[in-house]
Amino acid sequence: MTFDANMLRGIIEEVLKEMNLDDSSTEPAAQSVTASSLPNGKMQLTEQGVAQRGITTDEVVIGLAPAFGREQTKTIVDLAHDQVLREIIAGIEEEGIKWRVIKVYRTSDVSFIAHDAAEYSGSGIGIGIQSKGTTVIHQKDLPPLSNLELFSQAPLIDLETYRQIGKNAAKYAKGEAPTPVPVRNDQMARPTYQALSALLHIKETQLVDNNKKPQAVVVNFQ
Amino acid sequence: MKSKRFEVLAARPVNQDGYVKEWPEVGLVAMDGPNDPKPSIKIENGRITELDGKTREQFDMLDTFIADHAIRLDGAERAMAIDSLDIARMIVDINVTRKQVLDVTLCLTPAKLSEVMSKMTIVEIMMGMTKMRAREQPANQCHVTNVRDNPVQIAADAAEAGIRGFAEMETTVGIARYAPFNAMSLMVGAQVGRPGVMTQCALEEATELELGMRGFTTYAETISVYGTEPVFMDGDDTPYSKAFLASCYASRGLKMRFTSGTGSEVQMGYAEGKSMLYLEARCLAVTKGAGVQGTQNGSVSCVGVPAAVPSGIRAIAAENLISMLLDLESTTSNDQTFTHSDLRRVARSVPQFFSGTDYICSGYSATPNYDNMFAGSNWDAEDYDDWNIIQRDMKVDGGLQPVQEEDVIKIRNKAARALQGMFRELGLPAITDEEVEAATYANGSKDMPERNVNEDLKAIEDMMARKVTGVDFVKALDKAGFSDVAQNVYAMLRQKVAGDYLHTASIFDEQFHVMSAVNTPNDYHGPMTGYQISEERWKQISDIPNAIRPEDI
Amino acid sequence: MDQELLMKQIVEQVMKAMQNDSTETKSSYASNGKVTADNYPLSEKMADKLKTPTGKPFNSISYDKVVKGELGPEDMRIAPETLEMQAQVAESVGREAFAGNLRRAAELIAVPDDRLLEIYNALRPYRSSKQDLLDIANELDGYKAAVSAALVREAAEVYEKRGRLKKD
Repeated sequence: MTFDANMLRGIIEEVLKEMNLDDSSTEPAAQSVTASSLPNGKMQLTEQGVAQRGITTDEVVIGLAPAFGREQTKTIVDLAHDQVLREIIAGIEEEGIKWRVIKVYRTSDVSFIAHDAAEYSGSGIGIGIQSKGTTVIHQKDLPPLSNLELFSQAPLIDLETYRQIGKNAAKYAKGEAPTPVPVRNDQMARPTYQALSALLHIKETQLVDNNKKPQAVVVNFQ
Repeated sequence: MKSKRFEVLAARPVNQDGYVKEWPEVGLVAMDGPNDPKPSIKIENGRITELDGKTREQFDMLDTFIADHAIRLDGAERAMAIDSLDIARMIVDINVTRKQVLDVTLCLTPAKLSEVMSKMTIVEIMMGMTKMRAREQPANQCHVTNVRDNPVQIAADAAEAGIRGFAEMETTVGIARYAPFNAMSLMVGAQVGRPGVMTQCALEEATELELGMRGFTTYAETISVYGTEPVFMDGDDTPYSKAFLASCYASRGLKMRFTSGTGSEVQMGYAEGKSMLYLEARCLAVTKGAGVQGTQNGSVSCVGVPAAVPSGIRAIAAENLISMLLDLESTTSNDQTFTHSDLRRVARSVPQFFSGTDYICSGYSATPNYDNMFAGSNWDAEDYDDWNIIQRDMKVDGGLQPVQEEDVIKIRNKAARALQGMFRELGLPAITDEEVEAATYANGSKDMPERNVNEDLKAIEDMMARKVTGVDFVKALDKAGFSDVAQNVYAMLRQKVAGDYLHTASIFDEQFHVMSAVNTPNDYHGPMTGYQISEERWKQISDIPNAIRPEDI
Repeated sequence: MDQELLMKQIVEQVMKAMQNDSTETKSSYASNGKVTADNYPLSEKMADKLKTPTGKPFNSISYDKVVKGELGPEDMRIAPETLEMQAQVAESVGREAFAGNLRRAAELIAVPDDRLLEIYNALRPYRSSKQDLLDIANELDGYKAAVSAALVREAAEVYEKRGRLKKD
C-alpha cells in the first residue's frame, strides 16, 4: 500500500497541536462495570489518580500505552480499542480472575508498560498494550525486556487472539502453565506496515511523561 | 478513463510496499538532514570540550560517552580539519591504504563521518567497502528458527546451513522460555554440518549473557545500542551498561558485537529531528568507545523505515561503510524482509554482496520465511539457488556454495539423530524417530509433527535449575555415540579458553583455525589485490548441479 | 661507486637490519613480554604459555578429560593472563579501545556469574541510586577491578547529571 503523505502529515500535525493543548480537560465521570455484561459500543476510560499496587493475588493488571483509547482509538489494522480491551477483559473473566486497568505514561515501550502492569498487579502478572496493538504478557520478576508471551507483530493480532491473551494471563495469575497463544508470523507485515507503525508510535511517544506515575483507570463500556 | 498501464503497475509487488515522503522534523530523513549538527571538535587539556556543535555542558549521555571514549584524540583536530570531500576521495583512492584512511577516520566525530558519506555515490560506497572491511575473505551468517521453536528442525536446518557454507548462525525464539533448547539445538546442528561454525541466540540482554556463560552459545550479537538518549533508555540500557556488558562477555571468553541501525530512533519515537544516518554514526561511535570488536548494522529490523524514504537504501550501505571506517567487524544486515518486490530485494543486497563484507547477511534465513522468527529475511531457504547462481554469474564469493540433495538429506538426518541422542542422555523429553524422519526431509515447520510445548518448557526449567552446561552436551553426545559431534562441541569450548576468536571479524575454518582481521587482514589496494577467489573455491562456487555438461550432448 | 664502499654500506645495512630484527623479536615477546599480532593465534603459536583460570596448562586440556569428568565447566574458561595477552595483540594492530575492553574483562573474571549479571542490571537506567553505584565500584575495587570500577563511577556521575538514577 502507498501512504498518502498528506494524511500522515495530518496525523502528526494533529499530535503536535495536541501536545500544545492543555491536558487537563476533565473526562466525564464514569461508573465501573464488569466485563461480563459488556455491551457493544464505545468505551470511556476515566483516570482516577495514581494507581495503587494490588494486594490480592487473583488479579491481572492491564497497562495501556499513553494514547490508548483517547488520542488513538484503533490498532494499526483498524481494530477498535474498545473491542480489543473488551476481549482481553472477557478472556481474564472467563478464568474467574479479576482485572484492573492502569494507564502508563512514563514510557511508550510495550515491554516496560507490561512490566509496570505486572509490578502493580497483586498476582505479579500484567498485560501491556500499545495503541497500535502490540501486546505483551509479563511477570514482575522477569527482566523488563523479557516476557512471558510477546505479540510483536501488531498487524497479525485479531480479536480472538486478544481474548486468548487475556485468558492466558489469567491462567498465569492462577499459577498455571498455559500453552502459549500460537505466535503468528508474516514477513510481509514489515514492508507494508513498518513506516506507518513508526508514525503511530511517534504519535504515542509524544504523550510520554517521564515523571508521571501509572494512573488508575475506570473503564466504562457504553 | 483509467489507464490500463497504470492498472498493471499498481498491481506490481513494489506498489504493495509502504513509502513516506521525507519529514526531517521528526527524523524521517535518511541522511544529510537539515537539522544534523555541523561537524566540530575542540580539545583542551587532553579532553574533548566541544563535539559537533555542543559544548560539554550541553552534552547528553551519548555525547559524553563518545567524547570520553570513542574518538582518537591524537591527530583529531587535524583530521577534522580535512574537507569531507577529500576524505571521501581518500576512501576510494587505491593509492591511499586502508591504514592511512583509518588514521583519519578513527579521529572523526559522528557528524563528520555522516557528512563524508553524503559526498559518496552508491558505487563509491561499494568501492569503500571492498577496501575498508576488516577481514580479507567475506563470509555469511544465517538465521535458523521456526514458528514452533521445534528443536529437531533447528538442528537439521543448522546442519544443512553448515554444508551450504555459513560461518555463523543465529537463532531466536517464538516463546522466550524455549531459548535454551533453541540454542543447544543450533549448536549441535551447526557442529554436525560444518565444524567451527559459531552460534548465537538472540534474547533479552541479561538472558543472552547467561546462556553464553553456560556454554549454550559461542558468541552474541543482539546487544543493541541506539542513537539518542531516550531510545537508549527504552532499550533498557545506557552506553555505560553496554560497555560493562561487553566486558562481561569477553571475561567469559565469548565473542560479541553490538547491533544498531538506521531508523530505530524514528521507529521508537525519539529521533530528535536528526537524520537516520547521523544517529547511526553516533551508535557506531558508542560501539567503538565501548571497546567492542564489531557491529551488526544496516538498519536491521527497522529496514522498513529507511526503505520508505528517498536514498534510504544508500544510507544503509553508508552506515555499513562507517562501521568499517571505524575498524569494526561489519555484519551487514541484509536480513530482514522490507519489500514485496524481488527486484528491490536484490538491489538492496548488491552493495554488500558484490563488495564483500565480513558477514554479508546477518541472517540469511536458513528456513522458508514463514518460519523466520526475525519476522522474515531478505533472503530465505527458497532463494538458495538464486544466491548461488548470482555468485556464479558475477564471480563473487558470497560465502555459500551449491550442494547435492543426498548430502543435505544425510546431514539433516545425522543432526536430528545426534540431538535425539543428546536429549535422551540429558533426560529431556524424547525426540521420536518420527520427528527425526520428518526433520530429515522437511522444508519447514509445516512438515513437522507437533511437540508437547508444556512438557518441553517444564524440562527446560528443570534443566536450567540443574545447571547443565556445554560440558554436559559434550558428555551426552559422546555417550549417545556421536563422539565426532561431541569433539566439535568440545573444540568450540576449548577456543573460549584461548580467546583468539574474540578478535575483530573472526571466523573458524573446519579445523578450528581462526581467521580474523589480525592474521588475515584485508589488504585490498586495487585490481588483483585483496581477497582473490582461489581456483578450488571457484570450482565449488561455479559447479552447480543443474548445469548441462557439453560432453553429454 | 667504489666497490668496497658499496660492500661496506651493504654490510652496515644488513647489520642494522639484523639489529632491528633482533630487537623486534625481543620486543615481540622475549624481553618486555609484549605479545603482538605475530604471536597470533595464541592457541597455535603460544599454546604452551596459556593456562585455564584453574591453573591447568592449555595443552593439557583434552576431549577425553572432559568426557571422563576430569575437567569441568570451571576449567573451560579464559584466564586473566590470556586476556591480557589478547589485549596486547589488539594494541599491536592499533585497536586500543578493544584492548581496553579486554583488560576490563580480565578484571571481571574473578566476579561470579550471578553477581556479574546483577551488576550489569544495576547499571541499567533507573535501577540504582548514586550510592548503590558507588558501592558497586568499591566492591569491584575489592576484586582489583580498577578499570571497571572507574567506569561504574563515571556512570554514577553521568546518570546523576542526566536523571537516570533510581526514582524514589
